[in-house]
Amino acid sequence: MISAQINQTPIEVPEGTTLLQAARQLDIDIPTLCYLEGLPHFTSCMLCLVKDVESDKLVASCSMPVAEGMVVETDSEEVHAARKTALELLMSDHVGDCIAPCERTCPAHMNIPLMNKHIEAGRDREALVTVKQHIALPAVLGRICAAPCENNCYRSRIDGAVSICALKCYVADQDLASGSPYLPARKTPSGKRVAIIGSGPTGLSAAYYLQLDGHACTIFDDHPEPGGMLRYGVAETDLPRDILDLEIDVIRKLGARFDMQQQIGLQLSLAELRETFDAVVLATGQVPPEELKKFEVDSTTKSVRVDNATFATSTEGIFAGGGVVNPGKMAVRSVGHGRSIAISVDRYLWNQVLPVINNRSQSRVGKLREGELLPVIEAMHDLKRLTYEREFERTGLDHSVVGIAGAQAIGESGQCLQCGCASFHGCDLRIYSEQYGANAQRFKGERRKSVERILDHPFVVYEPGKCIQCGLCVRITEAKGEDLGLVFVGRGFNVRVEAPLNGTMDGALQKTARECIAACPSGALLSRDMLCEKMLDSG
Amino acid sequence: MPDSKTDINLTDIDTIVAEHGHAASDVIAILHAVQQRYRYLPEQALRRVCEISDITPAAISGVSTFYSQFRHRPAGEHFINVCTGTACHVKGAPLVVDAIRRERHIAPDNDTDPDGQFTVQKVACLGCCTLAPVVQIDSVTYGHTKPDGVREVLTDFTWRTTQNGANGKSRSTSKKQKVAGEVRVGLGSCCVAGGSAAVRDALVSSLDNARVDVSVKRVGCVGMCHQTPLVEMNLTGQPSTLYARVQPDDVEQIIQRHFRPKTLGQRLNRRATQWLESLLLNGAPEQGKRHPLNVRDKPVAAFLGRQKHIATENCGVLDPLDLDEYRGFGGFQALQKCLLELSPQAIIEEIKQSGLRGRGGAGFPSGQKWAIVQAAKGDKKYIICNGDEGDPGAFMDRMILESYPYRVIEGMMVAAFAVGADEGYFYIRGEYPLALARVRQALATCREAGLLGKNILGSDFSLDLKIVEGGGAFVCGEETALIESIEGKRGMPRIRPPFPAHSGLWGQPTLVNNTETYALVPWIMRRGAAAFAELGTEKSKGTKVFALAGKIARGGLIEVPMGITIREIVEEIGGGIADGRRFKAVQIGGPSGGCIPAELGHTSIDFEALQEVGAMMGSGGLLVLDDSDCMVDIARYFLSFTQDQSCGKCTFCRVGTRRMLDILERICAGKGKPSDLDDLESLSHEVNGGSLCGLGKTAPNPILTTLKYFRKEYEAHIQGHCPAGKCAELITYSINDDCIGCTKCAQVCPVDCIPMRPYEIHEIDSSVCTRCDSCRQVCPEDAVEVN
Repeated sequence: MISAQINQTPIEVPEGTTLLQAARQLDIDIPTLCYLEGLPHFTSCMLCLVKDVESDKLVASCSMPVAEGMVVETDSEEVHAARKTALELLMSDHVGDCIAPCERTCPAHMNIPLMNKHIEAGRDREALVTVKQHIALPAVLGRICAAPCENNCYRSRIDGAVSICALKCYVADQDLASGSPYLPARKTPSGKRVAIIGSGPTGLSAAYYLQLDGHACTIFDDHPEPGGMLRYGVAETDLPRDILDLEIDVIRKLGARFDMQQQIGLQLSLAELRETFDAVVLATGQVPPEELKKFEVDSTTKSVRVDNATFATSTEGIFAGGGVVNPGKMAVRSVGHGRSIAISVDRYLWNQVLPVINNRSQSRVGKLREGELLPVIEAMHDLKRLTYEREFERTGLDHSVVGIAGAQAIGESGQCLQCGCASFHGCDLRIYSEQYGANAQRFKGERRKSVERILDHPFVVYEPGKCIQCGLCVRITEAKGEDLGLVFVGRGFNVRVEAPLNGTMDGALQKTARECIAACPSGALLSRDMLCEKMLDSG
Repeated sequence: MPDSKTDINLTDIDTIVAEHGHAASDVIAILHAVQQRYRYLPEQALRRVCEISDITPAAISGVSTFYSQFRHRPAGEHFINVCTGTACHVKGAPLVVDAIRRERHIAPDNDTDPDGQFTVQKVACLGCCTLAPVVQIDSVTYGHTKPDGVREVLTDFTWRTTQNGANGKSRSTSKKQKVAGEVRVGLGSCCVAGGSAAVRDALVSSLDNARVDVSVKRVGCVGMCHQTPLVEMNLTGQPSTLYARVQPDDVEQIIQRHFRPKTLGQRLNRRATQWLESLLLNGAPEQGKRHPLNVRDKPVAAFLGRQKHIATENCGVLDPLDLDEYRGFGGFQALQKCLLELSPQAIIEEIKQSGLRGRGGAGFPSGQKWAIVQAAKGDKKYIICNGDEGDPGAFMDRMILESYPYRVIEGMMVAAFAVGADEGYFYIRGEYPLALARVRQALATCREAGLLGKNILGSDFSLDLKIVEGGGAFVCGEETALIESIEGKRGMPRIRPPFPAHSGLWGQPTLVNNTETYALVPWIMRRGAAAFAELGTEKSKGTKVFALAGKIARGGLIEVPMGITIREIVEEIGGGIADGRRFKAVQIGGPSGGCIPAELGHTSIDFEALQEVGAMMGSGGLLVLDDSDCMVDIARYFLSFTQDQSCGKCTFCRVGTRRMLDILERICAGKGKPSDLDDLESLSHEVNGGSLCGLGKTAPNPILTTLKYFRKEYEAHIQGHCPAGKCAELITYSINDDCIGCTKCAQVCPVDCIPMRPYEIHEIDSSVCTRCDSCRQVCPEDAVEVN
């Protein structure tokens, strides 16, 4: 037996035991992407680095045997920094979108591919539920949203973006027209009270989600009618007021109170509000610079200063978002702020740690190169067994034109490529990157692998761009005696996992396909059903 | 794969496999043979190999794409190999490559011209650093090539090819004058590259014509590579005379000087022959590559003065393959002593006492390594000579293997006896054909002489040595990668421990030492540990061989005692900086080493001192840089080398070196940001700390040292200025008022961006200019300015 010390805990292990195995015996978690118990180690990802105190060197624990008297640290700052860099390097060479570009660029973070999937399958109600998880005013936004999502849709450069905004409007209008609009279940009343100053998109959105969380909101506004800029800044031809009223009614039905013609400094005192309410949300929209000081929080000359992640101002219990923080007119951003504020306020009210939102850890492809998308579209259509043909010429369709419906809506939503990663939830690379706070963009350069999908296997989909060369599939095919198997081809940065001698994946993976898919830590090997599950109603 | 053109005869493949073996570990040898047969690896041939051997398709795919010597698409009729070693790089090899591609109209994504005549490839160091930049077309080597001389070189090559076969001359059979003594011709690779083979042919035929019978002897490397080809007339009764930079045309003159024809008839006869030959030669295009004949080079004394020849003992005297001569100089005495008088323990103790440390770069104490292998338990033990010298700009091992094969064999035998190994391998780069041939021959000679095989010199000791030819992968210089390669796998390093001393080749205890280390062993055993330990510093004993190259007056192969300072090497041995420029830095240790500024010229050559200043001994490349060299470009050059040679196994090296190179390329292109320097520095430390093997761990050294000593140059690049005027994207060429309108620049410009206007001041169209530097080089008035 060999004795050593891991994180100051003594351990005895048989000779030949690796540091990783020893640490696992002590329930110490060491991340790894290239090691799988039962397969020979390969020492590739270097995520399992730990510190050997005596030599003062970082060593790969997956393959380093425990030596007598060894003293090892697995969670020091230095070790974590090295793992983070390893993840950042891997991410810089991992070409794929964790989430679809439309969803990523939606200021309200709406799950657009999921909405499309529901519409395509005829599940309009589920589509609405999906929309309303992030957007409290979808019928309103369906008419006036600037739709950055469509601008970032990969199809926009090829044959026109999917008409996301019109589709959202369609499901929202259907809901309003039903006579009994969707009212999500509310949590048990918390007994907490929140004052929201301003009834524009930010305030309405914050109220909607705070009410759902069981808090009692009162919305103050100096105008006679609620809606803020939506009512007083948008032409009625663009946004019919009955639509706005119907969506405000939903918020009212959830229990929010509206106290109109109240202005801070006149009818209202901020100090009193802070006394009476458990939290205050500033959602006034843009205010003239000279009026900023009446909020009694830190501000610049133009806007109120908040914590980027939590929307907390410098004064405890006061939160702010929308135009008062980011002057400008993008309604969808204000709606998004409203929801984020609601989450933050809810945590504050329950004395929980305010959330730190970090989506820098996610991978994204960025701009697609010439010729990269068509094969992906064709692959999708191959998978969907659909012909590649749009239902109508999309390029000229203005998303503000309301009227997409029925078969057209199904056809249009079916054009969605479901760009986000089908292994989002199973991808260890993403999970560890988020855990270690890795910045996926840190080393992103101009040089990157191509976006590719190889479909020459009955059910395996291989995306070489996502491969991180961990070699698990190579070792699995070798260990399980595949006739051909997979192999590393080339050297260095250009190394690729391929079937030997320009063979097909079908030839390479005769018996180990499922095992390789299950082992792949970065979503490079998928099955068609994983993709189809993401794309289609599998029933 | 574009296979259609090649007809594969499967029986050829069967023959190759039968000759090289059916085992999985024979794959690299088989691939070499297939490539030799077809000039690339046709897929059909590879499939056949898999059908008839134990080699799997996965193995053949993985291995054949790992090593850079193997091609997967057909090649042109001739290979143009452009050396991209360090010395060639600083002397403009990249511009030569561009010029060749332009001249042959080679498409950007291709390496072969549209006619299928020439395939251009950048190759790792050819080891002719003193002739930089070097271009090799098939077996013909051209030194000191320039972008505007490319056309001439190609024309010359084509001319030679068409002349080939018409050159056969009948030998005279009349009575010869017998002369005592010998004519020595240096036939190391540099000398051969410098044209010494042709010189030797010319000597033989001239002597023949002059009816002189004297032995023309090939000798190994003399080290004075800056003077190649070298001919030494060592005749009894005459003082020995050394001729430098001899060209075949000069041979006649030399022969005349030493052997005056006796009769008038003979003299007339020879004149006529010469006249005839000069007529024949008139068809030859003019060549700008010929060196003037320098009789009795004076600085030779200075060059040789500070040197101490141990690994290169008897340099310039020994015929590399003459076993009797080697024995005459004390060869195999050390072995005899070890086998017959000493115990393995006593030998190891002697090596320990000598203070010998591994010459491969890291400097691990050799005696200690031998002792570990000796004590290790295994069914069998192996010994390996690491001759996979891959550093660009280093050619010590090549020279030692070419010139002193018996010495290395003897060193290995002593080591094998000491550690208890009975089987061993020479792992030699495929790029070193001469070294491979000489070692192969020397092994055969030793076997015949009973020096290899069973019961050597009547003892119980048996040893067999084989050769494995590398496939072109720098990482195989790392001992565990080298072992993987001998086992027929991709040369990917293994994690250590276990160290090869415990579990190496085929899982058995294995001693891996560098070529130079073995070459020092016979001297130590013959002269005693104390004699060796007398040389050098406290912790670094003995001598070190360096390949001295770059911006220096006298480059070459030198062996110096440890402890000598950098400045002494540069100034005394190297004769200072060439062309009156200023000494700026030395790059020592190649891609793992660092740049030491001139201010630290007092740094002594020993393992610790070099490490202290951020460099390392490395395998022994020593490149001298002057004030026209851009340090950012040097860092980028070395990093692009390591990045290209990374095996791709671990994240930090595979991706990290690429990202470091991204940043450096950005900086050299004038697109750097101020934050890039800190990013580069932190990533350098991270790659150093996180990489699996020495290649990745030391890859950041050239960056870290240049950042440390030349940070201002990096900052200048970020501000859009390259102080040395090297980085193409940061400089512009213009012509000043000194222009006399001679039109030379307009004539050489390969992209016609200088309109030809005789007697007027010329102008350069910067938007078209490729910064090839041809105009500046040709201008007689120095009127071309670089800004």
